[in-house]
Amino acid sequence: MPKKLTFQRRSEDEDIKASGMYLDLDELGKKGAMSAADASIAKWYGIYKSRQPGNHMARIVIPGGVVTSEQAKNIATVAERYGQGIVNVTTRQALQFHWLKVSNLSDVLRDLDEYGNSTKHGCGDVTRNVTACPLAETCPSRRLNARKWAQKTSEVLGAARDLDDLPRKFKINYSGCSADCAQPHINCVGLSGVIHNGKPGFKVVIGGGMGWKAFVAQPLFGFIPEDSAVDVCRAVAILFREHGDRFNRAKSRLKFVVHRKGIDFCREVVLENLKAEGKSQDGFVVESVLDEGAPFDERPLLDDTPLGTDGLHTVRIIVPKGELPFGRFYELAKLAEQYGDQRLYTTNRQNLEIHGVAPHDVAELSAAINKAGYLTSGSFTLRDIVTCVGTTYCPKAVTETRVLFDKIHRLVSSDRYAGILSSGIINITGCPNSCSPYRIADIGFRGMRIREEEGSVEGYEVLLGGSQTSFGQKLGDFKLIDCEAVVSLVLDEFLRVRKDDEFLTQCVRRVGIEHFKGVVYGEV
Amino acid sequence: MARFEYSKAAPPRESSVTTGTGVTTLDLKTVARAIPCQEACPAKTNVPAYIEAIARGAHDEAYRINQQDNVFPGVLGRICTRVCEDACRHKWTNVEGPVQICHLKRYAADNIREKQSALPPWFDSSGKRVVVVGAGPAGLSAARELARMGHAVTVVERAPVAGGMLVDGIPAFRLPRDIIAAEISLIEQGGVTIETGRHVSAGDVADFCDNYDAVLIAAGTTVTNQISIPGAQGRMVSGLDFMRDYNRGELTAVNGNVVVVGGGFTAVDCSRAARRIGEPGAKVTIAYRRTEASMAADKNEFKAMAEEEIDIRTLLTPLRFETDETGAGHLVLQRNMVADGTLGAKAVIAPIEGREVRIPCDTIITAIGQKRDASLLTFGVDSEVDGRTSKPGLFVSGDFKGGSADVVSAVASGKDVARLIDEYLMGKRRLMRGVRYVDTDCDGETGRYRDHDIQWPLPMPMADVAARYRDNAEVEIGFTQLIAQNAATRCYLCHYKFEIDQDKCIHCNWCIEAAPRDCIKKAAKIFYDDDGFPVKVFEAERNQDATFIYIDNDNCIRCGKCLRVCPTEAIKMRKLETDDCVKCGE
Repeated sequence: MPKKLTFQRRSEDEDIKASGMYLDLDELGKKGAMSAADASIAKWYGIYKSRQPGNHMARIVIPGGVVTSEQAKNIATVAERYGQGIVNVTTRQALQFHWLKVSNLSDVLRDLDEYGNSTKHGCGDVTRNVTACPLAETCPSRRLNARKWAQKTSEVLGAARDLDDLPRKFKINYSGCSADCAQPHINCVGLSGVIHNGKPGFKVVIGGGMGWKAFVAQPLFGFIPEDSAVDVCRAVAILFREHGDRFNRAKSRLKFVVHRKGIDFCREVVLENLKAEGKSQDGFVVESVLDEGAPFDERPLLDDTPLGTDGLHTVRIIVPKGELPFGRFYELAKLAEQYGDQRLYTTNRQNLEIHGVAPHDVAELSAAINKAGYLTSGSFTLRDIVTCVGTTYCPKAVTETRVLFDKIHRLVSSDRYAGILSSGIINITGCPNSCSPYRIADIGFRGMRIREEEGSVEGYEVLLGGSQTSFGQKLGDFKLIDCEAVVSLVLDEFLRVRKDDEFLTQCVRRVGIEHFKGVVYGEV
Repeated sequence: MARFEYSKAAPPRESSVTTGTGVTTLDLKTVARAIPCQEACPAKTNVPAYIEAIARGAHDEAYRINQQDNVFPGVLGRICTRVCEDACRHKWTNVEGPVQICHLKRYAADNIREKQSALPPWFDSSGKRVVVVGAGPAGLSAARELARMGHAVTVVERAPVAGGMLVDGIPAFRLPRDIIAAEISLIEQGGVTIETGRHVSAGDVADFCDNYDAVLIAAGTTVTNQISIPGAQGRMVSGLDFMRDYNRGELTAVNGNVVVVGGGFTAVDCSRAARRIGEPGAKVTIAYRRTEASMAADKNEFKAMAEEEIDIRTLLTPLRFETDETGAGHLVLQRNMVADGTLGAKAVIAPIEGREVRIPCDTIITAIGQKRDASLLTFGVDSEVDGRTSKPGLFVSGDFKGGSADVVSAVASGKDVARLIDEYLMGKRRLMRGVRYVDTDCDGETGRYRDHDIQWPLPMPMADVAARYRDNAEVEIGFTQLIAQNAATRCYLCHYKFEIDQDKCIHCNWCIEAAPRDCIKKAAKIFYDDDGFPVKVFEAERNQDATFIYIDNDNCIRCGKCLRVCPTEAIKMRKLETDDCVKCGE
């Protein structure tokens, strides 16, 4: 019989989703392999295929970026048992295992569940891990406690079965103030604390995103009362569910909806969605409002041991490449029990933090952390390089980002640049998906291969002068062997032309990218 | 070279321009490889473009594209020899056979909504006068093209109706007369004058040469080849005469059992015509000296002949006619054999001595080829090269030029000679064949997806045998909308070309992973011919050996997935259209 003609053209992933979004991981484990369709649905369980055939990654959802020390120990144990002993911190404050085998997946999830850890909705077309600025509860410049709302949002949206099948992933984050440490401008929904008419609430932006086509988020509301935050997130999710592109997966994120339909249309739909569900819109202000809170630092994360409003300190743990052996992770969890508030906090620089450290304990804890093999200083500096896992694990990656990490880390650690360490950040990503958001860094690298006369070699597109609200400008494409020299030329020139205490990004904007291009290409 | 500027392999270039019209050999080679059906078509019909229009339901547009390229869409949609289908990429990449291009052409012609009009002229009136001898497909095609070039064209035709072999050779049950008349009328609307019923002699041709700026002889092949069959005197009729008389309604009966000798178009038509006017229960046989593979009929026609109970006997050569004691006639034929190791159309045939076959026979129709009436050129024409003759201003085309062939070749020949005539008249080439590259901005959405590739083609509906004999009804009924959609969506739409901008490509290989089949490759090295046309690709296994990521258009199904998944927007889809470039000729 001839095949029946059909004229619907939704993407294959949509077909797979429509055929049911549940897996029996125990049965799959017995079978020992996943089909392509199984692998698509496994994302809803937080499981991705790794670059190495037969291996998988599982991502633990950590709303607000905080785990108890007990949960951390549980994670370390699971990593030891199933994941070749490795724990990774992600740029969206989650934790990941690699090297998991299909036959172990169900055991991994069960073992995690024992201490309340879950990978559910770690990946897939759902609301992903809701992140928050790391110092949420005690930051002196906070307008409200962002973490509380991040966790609440995660709980409500994660439990909403009508939001299980979005056109693509949906990312939300919360910042306590407009310093925007949680990076609201590059997420689907970004909420930043403001004070308006004496009341705390949020400024809401939507439609930001990195990926192959990057967009800066656009303002949805100038102010909403904090109680409405979860409702607004849900209303935006419904907007996305109804208007996202289910035909072309490459253009299905909310950022394309906002780009295509316009922010005003989106706002109307969001307000309608709120109305339809009987949610209050009292106190909503569309236009941007004057924040009545106290002034804040532009880059608050630079402080190594910030003092919270509770009189206690935060001690930062710089995790190179975001990867820890399980033993050290366990050790850090123990330190959090001894010196901190019995919790480990994750940051979007792939680092960890211990909060609630008494001033007199700071030195001792720092020493203990150093002894465990980690620096406690240098957060948000040139040395605090964020890199995706690259070809080490990721099937999408083009380059081995960790090689570049080592080269650049060695370079910026030299004495020559000691004076400008805190003047910028460096992000390295292995492909255009931008898991490490290279466009918002002072120096950003994106992996590529560069054609030669015969064959091709690893290289990077280098951007300079990025920020959340204004992406970096292209310096050029460079082979891996030249990247160190390029950064060195850039930093040397920065040293020469830097004015006062300006950041690298400010300097690039001031003197222009062409100037830096001239320097790098040897024309100046 | 400045610091950090790398030496890179030059990216493959398959066109002389990015957008606009290219007229170099490279462009023509690119379009020839990209669109094999169009390249195979003698008239160079833009097949994928009109099939895409049919898939959209735009029949008028599809008709127009055909009209432009092959002059007689409705006619050729029925009787074309379909060399395009042999070239279809489905023949190499799938097992279900080619796209039914010809039937689709007919579907579009049958379903046009608005009254069609003549094509607009390319140039203003030139004041030149041209006469064309013969209103067959070649003469009419040349006339239409010459008229579009601004010349005053008169076509003279011996027969009472224009059309040549279309009306005198091909029977109405394959090609209804109103279809021919409508398409000839479109040519007349374009400014061509047709004078029918006017016989032209060699002397007339000489007069034409004196009185017109150019003369084209497209008089076809009207002299039939003869064989003598001992004992068959009075029972033999030539196939050409038989079909002409049958088609004009002058022949309404045929005596007893019929044997048609020959295997060409005429033989097949004669047998089917004989069945329609023959005595009920009479035997109609085709006796052909070669095998079925050498016969002019297509699959559908063989099927129709089987239904019409026409016996096809091959590997037989007529020897003599005999009448037995009861008075029943028989044709005695020599058996032939195919030499070992030869097959199909190239088979070597040899007689088997002493082996004979007897077929009941009262009438013999010989259809063993025809040649032109060379007397038309008896006034000092020494040589002919590609349509030009040694006499300036006198041209030949169609069957008259190259011997009897199919209609689409005649159309092509007419179109080609029109350009030669125009060049002769105007002293320069005014039209240049080129390739127009059109940027598309549709995200690679061609409407095709993988399922379309493996869809099964549906057969052409045919009239019941009984119904065929009433009023000479057309045997092939035509596609329904469903069948047409099914056929049209199978087309790979080869006129879309996906290409990777090598300077934007970062070798992420995402397109390779998204590809529905092995259509995107890592290329270590690409070799080019002197025109810069890629002729060979060395594939690379490892990333470090891959100099280019290269889309293999031969295997591309135009689904657009690669374009949509490309993170650096390095993949573009261009539309290739062959184009009569008026400007380039100036």
